[in-house]
Amino acid sequence: MSRAAAQLASFLRAALRGITASPLTSGIAIATIGVTLVLLGAFALLVANMERMLDDVGDALHVTAFLEEGLAPEAQRELASKAATVEGVASVRIVSKDEALARFRGGVGRGAALLEGLSENPLPASLEIGLADGYRSASGLARVSGSLDGLPGISDLTSGQDWVEGYLRAIALVRGIGWGLAVILALATLLIVANTIRLAVLSRRDELEILALVGASRAYVGTPFLLEGLIQGAAGGVLALLLLYAVFRLVLPGFEFGLELVLGGVAPRFFTASEAALLLAAGSGLGLFGAAAALASESRP
Amino acid sequence: MKLGPSRFLGRRRPREYAGGGRKAAVQLYHVSKSYTAGHYALRDVSLEFGRGEFVFLTGPSGAGKTSLLKLIFAAERPSEGQIVVLGRNAPRLGPAATPPLRRRIGVVFQDFKLLPRRTVEENVALALEVVGAPRRDNRAKVFAILKQLGLQHRRFHHPLSLSGGEQQRVAIARALVNEPEILLADEPTGNLDPELTVEIMDLIAQTSTRGTTVIVATHDYGIVNRYAKRCVRLEGGRVVEDAPAHGATP
Ligand SMILES: Nc1ncnc2c1ncn2[C@@H]1O[C@H](COP(=O)(O)OP(=O)(O)OP(=O)(O)O)[C@@H](O)[C@H]1O
Ligand SMILES: [Mg+2]
Repeated sequence: MSRAAAQLASFLRAALRGITASPLTSGIAIATIGVTLVLLGAFALLVANMERMLDDVGDALHVTAFLEEGLAPEAQRELASKAATVEGVASVRIVSKDEALARFRGGVGRGAALLEGLSENPLPASLEIGLADGYRSASGLARVSGSLDGLPGISDLTSGQDWVEGYLRAIALVRGIGWGLAVILALATLLIVANTIRLAVLSRRDELEILALVGASRAYVGTPFLLEGLIQGAAGGVLALLLLYAVFRLVLPGFEFGLELVLGGVAPRFFTASEAALLLAAGSGLGLFGAAAALASESRP
Repeated sequence: MKLGPSRFLGRRRPREYAGGGRKAAVQLYHVSKSYTAGHYALRDVSLEFGRGEFVFLTGPSGAGKTSLLKLIFAAERPSEGQIVVLGRNAPRLGPAATPPLRRRIGVVFQDFKLLPRRTVEENVALALEVVGAPRRDNRAKVFAILKQLGLQHRRFHHPLSLSGGEQQRVAIARALVNEPEILLADEPTGNLDPELTVEIMDLIAQTSTRGTTVIVATHDYGIVNRYAKRCVRLEGGRVVEDAPAHGATP
């Protein structure tokens, strides 16, 4: 145990020696990882906050099923319980004709005078159908609507809130761009990290050859380089978190209006601890993977 | 189906190779080594070195001495032939099995191969560290071997600040520190004055009395004669003489 710790300490020393031996190339690698993670982190934050805004207006995510005229209350209840069994449906509430009218009156205010002349309530009864967690997306809405469509007694279906679909599409777009960028930037970063480690391997080639000749295993020779990549990646992750936090704290408040437009007044939030850890892990992973790629390409004769 | 004698031999031979007997530390069977097409550094060399044996390898420059040593610790592969070292088929060992074999072999390189950025002590400890031995235990061993070689006062110096002879002794210390089963020394006294040569050669000879197989490549016929051990002479990559030890002790 203490032997493994001592071994790890000596590997760490070797890795740090490697980083300080070429501060410029190491610095470039760290900065590259940092920039990549800043961009990815910014997209992740944007998506997270946009989704949170949807959660905030959670009620907006429902499907309204208008019932055919003249459906008896008995039949309405039967239909409601049938709708509740549809996959993706979390709750079903019956809104009677009278309740619909009361809501309408409350909603349009003075415009209610429009209804005064009518002898009969023109509003249909409806089912207000809440969505289960996994279905709060444009495709989820569509799927639930599709399943409800066939039920007899339902005359019309609407998700009620067209903007929600648009907003969901916007989130999907931001997320898609984020992922696309993630893949491209991660590849570019991997190349740069791999190159940094490859240079480090080359500059210490004589030393590594001697280590091999006195019987060092490949793991013994390679571990310091893997650690070097890992440390660079973690450092890039810390750098990215600091930058993102600085922007979040110092710059964002100056753009209140723009924020309000995107988030609708929901206070933006920063990463949770586990999300921050995930970003660090992503940086470390990039560094480790880049180093492993460099070692693999260098140990090939 | 007929089992001819040759077939029988053919089946038995590999078992002999693999086992290596209890006495043989190194066996070479019809080994040739060619770095560049058409030119042989070693040609059809068949030799056997027993456990605890002390052998000199001599011959003019370019005869193939260093090449032979490199084949033994699997730094090179033979172009033809078989090599069995400590019961292992050395050239066929993969990247995972080669390091463990090398840890059982101490090598004093002709050009020392010390790490310039590490101290003398760290250079010697390297041979122990690659095995994963804890640092604290290493210190005592390293100090003991450095003292034997008269280098204890130099242990915190860097190799490049040492004289050629001192560097050579550091290389010897590194090769001996983990008590290898085979010691390969390539011109281990090339940079030493005559008195130190005798001292160091005595130390190397001692290790063979403790069971280490010692193979010393040298031009120096003075020490070859002094020790009266088995002497293999190479010329142009061929074994031209294999003189057995002739009794006299140093
Ligand atoms: N890596 C190499 N690439 C090409 N040729 C080599 C290589 N190493 C050795 N040779 C050639 O193989 C032959 C034997 O070389 P080797 O180093 O084994 O000789 P040696 O007996 O150790 O000589 P010396 O006494 O000068 O050290 C020489 O002709 C040399 O030029
Ligand atoms: Mg030589």
